[in-house]
Amino acid sequence: MRLDIRFSGAGGQGVILASVLLAKAYGLGEDYNISQTQSYGPEARGGACKAEVVISDENIDYPKVDTADVFIAFNQMGYEKYRKQIKKTAIVLVNSTLVETDDDSAYQIPATEMAEDMGKPFVVNMVMLGALTKILPKIYYPTVEAEIQENFSASIAGANLEAYSKGYEYMAERLE
Amino acid sequence: MDKGSTKPGYVVLQGNEACVKAAIYAGCRFFAGYPITPSTEIIEMMAEEMPICGGAFIQMEDEIASSCAIVGARWGGRKAMTATSGPGFTLMQEAIGFAAVTETPVVIVNVQRGGPATGQPTLSSQQDIYQARYGSHGDYEMIALAPSTVQEMYDFTVRAFELAEKYRTPVVLLADEVVGHMREKIIIKKGTVDVRPEKIAGIASPSADFFTGENVLVEGQLHDERGRRIGHLPDKSGEFLMKLNNKIRKNVDAIADLKTYFLEDSDTAIVAYGSVERPAMDAVRLARGIKDDMVNTTVKFVKNVFKKGVPAAIHTDYSHLKVGVIKINTPWPFPKNELTRLTRDVKLVIVPEMNIGKYYKEIERALPDKKVVSMPKCGGNLHTPKEILDTILKEMGVNE
Repeated sequence: MRLDIRFSGAGGQGVILASVLLAKAYGLGEDYNISQTQSYGPEARGGACKAEVVISDENIDYPKVDTADVFIAFNQMGYEKYRKQIKKTAIVLVNSTLVETDDDSAYQIPATEMAEDMGKPFVVNMVMLGALTKILPKIYYPTVEAEIQENFSASIAGANLEAYSKGYEYMAERLE
Repeated sequence: MDKGSTKPGYVVLQGNEACVKAAIYAGCRFFAGYPITPSTEIIEMMAEEMPICGGAFIQMEDEIASSCAIVGARWGGRKAMTATSGPGFTLMQEAIGFAAVTETPVVIVNVQRGGPATGQPTLSSQQDIYQARYGSHGDYEMIALAPSTVQEMYDFTVRAFELAEKYRTPVVLLADEVVGHMREKIIIKKGTVDVRPEKIAGIASPSADFFTGENVLVEGQLHDERGRRIGHLPDKSGEFLMKLNNKIRKNVDAIADLKTYFLEDSDTAIVAYGSVERPAMDAVRLARGIKDDMVNTTVKFVKNVFKKGVPAAIHTDYSHLKVGVIKINTPWPFPKNELTRLTRDVKLVIVPEMNIGKYYKEIERALPDKKVVSMPKCGGNLHTPKEILDTILKEMGVNE
């Protein structure tokens, strides 16, 4: 089986990092092959940014995503750009602070608002990653948590872990 | 800096990072470079890793200096590498020619981006395929390796050092943005092997070898075995130049590395190098109907977990199509014999490339009795499996 996941948003929102941590969490152990790719403009911040993760229990040939099984939009521009390139059964997560959608089946996570409430606007991506971890198959809270811990220095790991946990819990409540 | 997971067994690394790990494993202890997207991660990681493993890292003023520095470093006794992309690769051509004529084993990594000139810094291409072969002036033969996976980025970097030492020549690792920036799960080896060839193959001017304590003369003009200039002597110069080129030309089959998939019963072959091989593989699976199960199980998988209703996957069965893939890992020197042997029963050859269609000309010339179709793609994106499948169907005369 193969799961195609696409993240989109703006440069600086941590789109690529969220995808890398997810890919690493799936990539641990023997069970899944992963491929993580990205495309972004020359700007450091603000330009359109896309990251893709493919997870498969078979060899991954085409490493990119064509039509996505899971689509995560961090901002309106990214949402509009890729909202059509998804499968009919796709799971859609949007950062509802910045994305307006008429799609009732999309999961709305007010990630920017939650991050700003924490006083740490830069952890938007961790809120989204937490929500995503809750909803994705075959991936568990501690696996991604360990990747976050490994990725950040101790001084900022705390804020990121907190945001991750908040996103996870928010989604858990939504799914009940 | 992304160091990848340290869990036993596998690591998740970016292609550029895998290249660094491999270079250190292969004994590289000198790196000079100038950062340029999409190869910058190599330079960043080298800056961190070289001092740790007892090597030296220098950020140079430009790519000309970087490439000259690695040639000097190799004569100074260190295995050396540099990494760059399009515009930097252009600047390095002078020193690449110098490394070729002085028979200096160095490795140059070109993580290709779109060109010409500044081109497309963040997008991919295979436009430098001929520059890797003929970028510098004069007659010399080049070895270039084209990885398509992160594991190959690792393995081919090690092989690049082996080939450089064996043939005493610069070797180009011709990667591209896709494989350079992609993260995958790979297995890396522990420690360091100081790759030294058992036998150096047919060197043109066997001046004193490295580390022997003898005085050496490193000469850019054509030279004799002691490094003395012979540029004014046509006979000797001709002899030297033939030797210099023949050490590669006579070993094309030994250097050649080609992989085949589903080729046994095929009358059509997709010939690809670098990351384009990956959508080509997917396209062939689609064509042969092998992909069908996988598509369905993904849908089932999503359905089971999320309990959503799903329509049945619609798939046309093309399983009667006999199409395979030939993957060229060593585009240069051109593996003519090997390609001819592998395509013996093939009538149609399709060559997808992320450029205006360059390498296909070489294939067309090598296979005069076959129909060779170019499938160029410019703009910075990899071919999609669907695009390649459509070309297969069109060229094989199958109506959808």
